[in-house]
Amino acid sequence: MSTFHSQRASRLALVLGTLATVTACGGAAVPPPELVAARSAYEEASTGPAAELAPARLDTAKQALGAAENAWKEDPKAKEPETLSLAYIAERRALTTSAIGEAAQARASRIKLDEEYMELERKRATMTQEELERVRARLAIESQKSAQTEAELAKERAARADAEKRLSAAVASLAEMASVKEEARGMVITLNGSVLFTTGKYQLLPIAKQKLDEVAKALQAQGFKKIVIEGHTDSRGSVQDNEELSQRRAQAVKDHLVSQGLESPKIQAIGLAATRPLDTNDTPEGRANNRRVELIVTN
Amino acid sequence: MIRQTTFAIVTMLGAVQMACGGAAVPHQELSTAQASVRAAEVGGATQHPQAELSLKHANDKIAEAQALIADGENELAALRLREAESDAELALALALKEQAKKDAEMALKRIKLMMGETRS
Repeated sequence: MSTFHSQRASRLALVLGTLATVTACGGAAVPPPELVAARSAYEEASTGPAAELAPARLDTAKQALGAAENAWKEDPKAKEPETLSLAYIAERRALTTSAIGEAAQARASRIKLDEEYMELERKRATMTQEELERVRARLAIESQKSAQTEAELAKERAARADAEKRLSAAVASLAEMASVKEEARGMVITLNGSVLFTTGKYQLLPIAKQKLDEVAKALQAQGFKKIVIEGHTDSRGSVQDNEELSQRRAQAVKDHLVSQGLESPKIQAIGLAATRPLDTNDTPEGRANNRRVELIVTN
Repeated sequence: MIRQTTFAIVTMLGAVQMACGGAAVPHQELSTAQASVRAAEVGGATQHPQAELSLKHANDKIAEAQALIADGENELAALRLREAESDAELALALALKEQAKKDAEMALKRIKLMMGETRS
């Protein structure tokens, strides 16, 4: 601690002594403002980007400042114009150096930014390319799906057309024993009772079975929601007998259709006896028309 | 044409001065200063206010030097011409700095624009 204080005291004494000597010799000359400005400009240049980016220029500025300093030291009075001029030049050289340093810094910054830009461009191009590939792949899948759907639709259309054709053919083959009508409640196939059954019986005749087989195949191919089979009689005989007979006949038709592969839960058999006559029950012909089985098909 | 005339006058005055035993006419300094001014002009010094001011100083000093030469003050004229040269160099450096900064700003702006586009 005491050593430290002693050193400081010695330094202070030295500085004071030097100052006293200078004062005794007529005082130190004050540097001209131009030289001070040059020193300051050089100081700024040497601590700026020029130190790293424009060292040769900084050296030139240093030499210019050195020349000004020397001129001033040699003879401040006699060489005043030259000193001022050299100081002016030194300041300009230092300012030039600073400007060149900053320009170099800005150029380096621009080069870096340009590189970043190129990198971003590359990334964006890659991204766009990837997106393009994704869209292409998606389109290819969609196109494939569309083609598949189209093919399936065509297949379905062909199957439906075929089924309709077969149904038409089946219905046409039933022409002699049935009539087909499109009504609000669905497609109504009316089968004449005398062609299906022997009088008073409910067992299907062989020819009726054969024709119903064709109808069953056609309905199976086309598809349906529901079939209601209605059995109808003429008004002769007791109501109870007619109800029983019409129910059994409807059931016989249903059983046969189910035996051909149609789904039982989708088929309903009901006996309506003589409740819904189509014709008069007063003539043999009218009664024959009333004895019938109706298939109401809904899609 | 004007430059040639100036050069002829300066040369003639220089010859007279030499004959009188004074300092030589600073031909070299004059042509160097003038070349520096031209370089600064080509480098775009007239397009940036700070650089333009330095360029004006250079031109003023050249004119002052020419007047001094005419008066036989060749030594002082040489000083002015060296000062003019340093002014012209500063003008060029300032112009280059401004241009470089402008370029860097543009580069930054370009990146910001692209990033904005990418985000949107």
